[in-house]
Amino acid sequence: MTFQQFSFIVLGLGILTSCKPKFDTPEADGGDIDASNYVALGSSMTAGYANGALYYDVQQNSYAAILAEQLKLVGGGDFKIPNVSPASIGVGNTNNAPSKLGDRTDCLGAVSLGPVKIATQGDASVFSTNVYNQGPFNNMGVPDMKVIDATVSGYTNPFYQRMSSSASSSVLSDAVAKNATFFSVMLGVNDALSFALKGAASESLTPVAGAVGTGFEASINQVIDQLSANGSKGVIANIPSIRSMAYFNTIAWNALKLDATSATNLTSFYSALDGTTFYEGDNGFMIMDSKNPFLGFRQAVAGELILLNVPLDSIKCHKWGSLNPIPDRYSLTLSEIDSIEDAINSYNVILRNIANAKGLAFVDVNGFFAKVKAGYMYNGVAVNAAFVSGGFYSLDGLNLTPRGNALLANEFIKAINTQYGSTIPETNAMKYPAVIFP
Amino acid sequence: MSSLYKIIILIIMVSPVRDYAQGFQVNLQGQKQQGMGGAGTAFMQDASSLFFNPGGASFVHGTQFNLGVTPTFARGAFMDDKTHEVSRTNSPVSTPFAAYGMFELKDSSKLKLGLAVYTPFGSTVQWEDNWTGRFALTRLELRAIFIQPTVSYKLTKNLGIGAGFVYATGKVNLQKDIPLVDANGNYGHAELSGKAHGYGFNVGVYFKPIEKLSIGLTYRSKVNMAVNDGQANFDVPEGVSANFPDGKFKSKLPLPSVLSLGMAYKANSKLDFALDINYVGWKAYDTLSFDYENNTASLIDTKSARMYKNTFAFRGGAQYKVTEHFAARLGLAYGITPVQDGYVTPETPDANRVNYTAGIGYEIGKHLKLDASFLFTHLERSGTNKETNLSGTFKTNVCAPGISIGYKF
Repeated sequence: MTFQQFSFIVLGLGILTSCKPKFDTPEADGGDIDASNYVALGSSMTAGYANGALYYDVQQNSYAAILAEQLKLVGGGDFKIPNVSPASIGVGNTNNAPSKLGDRTDCLGAVSLGPVKIATQGDASVFSTNVYNQGPFNNMGVPDMKVIDATVSGYTNPFYQRMSSSASSSVLSDAVAKNATFFSVMLGVNDALSFALKGAASESLTPVAGAVGTGFEASINQVIDQLSANGSKGVIANIPSIRSMAYFNTIAWNALKLDATSATNLTSFYSALDGTTFYEGDNGFMIMDSKNPFLGFRQAVAGELILLNVPLDSIKCHKWGSLNPIPDRYSLTLSEIDSIEDAINSYNVILRNIANAKGLAFVDVNGFFAKVKAGYMYNGVAVNAAFVSGGFYSLDGLNLTPRGNALLANEFIKAINTQYGSTIPETNAMKYPAVIFP
Repeated sequence: MSSLYKIIILIIMVSPVRDYAQGFQVNLQGQKQQGMGGAGTAFMQDASSLFFNPGGASFVHGTQFNLGVTPTFARGAFMDDKTHEVSRTNSPVSTPFAAYGMFELKDSSKLKLGLAVYTPFGSTVQWEDNWTGRFALTRLELRAIFIQPTVSYKLTKNLGIGAGFVYATGKVNLQKDIPLVDANGNYGHAELSGKAHGYGFNVGVYFKPIEKLSIGLTYRSKVNMAVNDGQANFDVPEGVSANFPDGKFKSKLPLPSVLSLGMAYKANSKLDFALDINYVGWKAYDTLSFDYENNTASLIDTKSARMYKNTFAFRGGAQYKVTEHFAARLGLAYGITPVQDGYVTPETPDANRVNYTAGIGYEIGKHLKLDASFLFTHLERSGTNKETNLSGTFKTNVCAPGISIGYKF
C-alpha cells in the first residue's frame, strides 16, 4: 500500500459523512369528515375578537381560522372571514378601540405596564359597512352572541349586521345557507358570561327551558339540527367555567393591602357598622351586596371574584374596597357565582348530550380552560391563565391571544381525530404570538 | 507533512459543515483504539495509553508522541409527534483532539513520564432558527480540555501501575429563545456563557500474566466543572427589559467517572483482540441549575432535573496486520444511555447506541506512523420531556472520521 492509497481511503471515509436522518412523516388524513367546506358558528372567540375589539389581525388568528388552516391538510377549502379592513383599528362592543400593552400612570404617579386603548374610540365605520358582498362566510362567529340569539331573524347585534345577508336573516340561516360539509359550534358562553360580566347586577342567565329563542336547550337543538340536516359531520364545544378566566382571577378578593395604622382606623370605622376587623397585610375588599340586609355591603370572602374592569385608581386613591364598598357590578358573590356555574353546568350537560346523540366530536373546553388555569408546559413554555404573562388570555382577559387560540384549535383537532378517525396534525402553537410587549 | 495537512483540511471541507454531537461524552481518543470500537484498557499500542491505562503506559516502548484529531459530523433532527413538524440541527463541526507525549527516562526503562491533552467531553448543538423546541434550547456548546501529567511504573515484567492528575478547563455557552414577543414579531433570547474548570485523576493497573493475554483496570474520576463567573445576557422587548437584567450566574456540570475493565488477547503475530467494559458514573448529573446574581420576578434561579443514571458501555475490536507496515481494524461498541425516559432534552437527545468503527494504520519507516479511523452511529429516541412537554422523536447520525500521526524515537 502506498501513501496515496492510504489517503484515498481516508478521503472516502470522510465523504461518507453526509448522513441526514430521515423521518417517515405520518400522512394527514380526514377520516370520516369532508373538510372541503368548513363553517364555524360561535361568538367572540370564534370571530377572533381579542384585546377588547374585533379587527383584521385578530380575525386571522381565531381558533376557527387556525383550525381551518389545519383542515386544509386534509382537503379543507377556502375559509372566508368577514374581515374588517386591515387599515382599520377595529371596534369593540362599547364602540371602543382595541387595547395594547403600554405604560400606564396611575393616580399615585406610578408607571407600570398594562392594557392601554390605542385610540379614544373604535372605528365606527366597521359597524356601518356591510361586507356580505365578500361572503357568504365560513366564519360565522358573532361577538356577544348567545345561543338564543342565533335563530333570531333580523338580529340587531352590530357585529352581525355588518356581515348579514339581509335585514331579516338570522346568524343560523346564514350559516345554514353556506351548506357546510363540516361545522364547529362553540356557543353558549355568553348565555352565562353576559350576566357574569355585569357583576350579576343586571341582565340574566339564559334559562334552560323555553322555546327556541328563549330557552337554551331548544335553541341549541335547533342550531345543531339545521347544521347537520344534510348529514354534515361536526364538532361542538362546551362552556368554560368563569372561574378559569383571567377576567375574574386577576384581582384577588383579598388584595386590600393595609398597614397597621390603616387597619386600626378601618376597624374602628366599621365597628359601629358591621364590626368588620381589618389586619395588617391582605384583607378582603368591602363590597356592595344587596342580599346583605340593612347595610347592603360586607367584606368579601374567599372564593368571591372581583372583575378585571374595576377601576384600580378608585381602589388606590378613592378608598374603594375599604371605606367605600366596591359597587355590585364589579364583584361576584358566592351565591352569584353558584347560580352562574349551575347554569354553565346545565348547559354543558345539554351540549354533551347533543354531541352523543348526533355522533359529533366534542371538545371539553371547560376541562381545557381549567387545565390552563392550573398551568402547564407546552414545548418549553409555561402556559397559564395569569393576565398578560400567562400567554393565553388577550388583554380583555376573556378572549384569547393567537397562541391561546392555537392551543384551543389543537383541542378541536384532538376531538375531531378521536371521533372521526382522522389524523389532522396539530399546529405548533408557539408560532403564534401571545400578548405583544412594547 | 504537507500532504497530511491537506488531507485533514480536505476532510473538513468535503464534509457538510453540520454537526450535532449527541450526548456530551466524546469517546474519541486514539485512532488505533477508535478503529477497534474504542477498546484499549488492556491493549497498549502507543502513547495514547496515557489516557486508556496509565498503568500500561510503562509497557509501551521508548519515547513517543501522538497527535490525533477526529472531526465529528453529526446531523440531528426532531419530529414533533403532534404537528409532525421536522426540525434539524445545523451545528458547526466539533473537533475532539488528543495529544500524547510519553518520555522514557534514560536511567530507568521502568519509569515513564507523560503528558496527555485531550477532549473527553464536549459538543456543540445548534438547532435551526424557530425550531419547535426553541424555548427549551437553541444552542449548547460545551467544551472541556483535560490536561493530564502522568507517571507510569512497571513494577514487574507482568505488572504496571500508573496515575495521572487531571486539570480540566472548559467553556459552556447555552442559548434559548424567550417566549416574549414584540410588535415586530421578534422573540426574546437568552445567552448564558462562562468558563469552567475542575480537577480529577486517572489511575490504572496493567497486568500481563502471559504473553498472549493482558488485563487492565482503570478509574477516571468525576470532574466537577464549576462555572463561577458566568455571564447571562438577555435580549427581550424593551418594555420588560427591567425584568431580565444582564448579570452574572453560577452553575456546574459534573463530568462523570469512568471505571473500565479491559482484556486483550493476541491470537497470533498478526491478529489482536481487545475488549472493554466501561461503567460510567452519570448518576452525578442529577440536576442542571442556574443561580443568577440578579433575580427578578421573571428571572428566578432554575433547577432542572436531569436524573441521569449510571450506565455501561461494551467495546470490542480486532486488529489484523495485513503486512508488516499496514494494519486493518474493525470494532463495535454498545452504549446504554444514561438518560431516562421523560428526561430526553434537545441538548442531549441520547439513546442506546451501537457504534460501528473501522480503521487503518500505516507505518512510514521506523519512526512515523499514520492512523485513520472512522466511526458511525445512529441514535433514535422518542418520548415526552417531563419538564418542557416537548414530545416527539429525536434522530441523530454521527460520523467521525479521524486521523493521527505518531512519532516514535
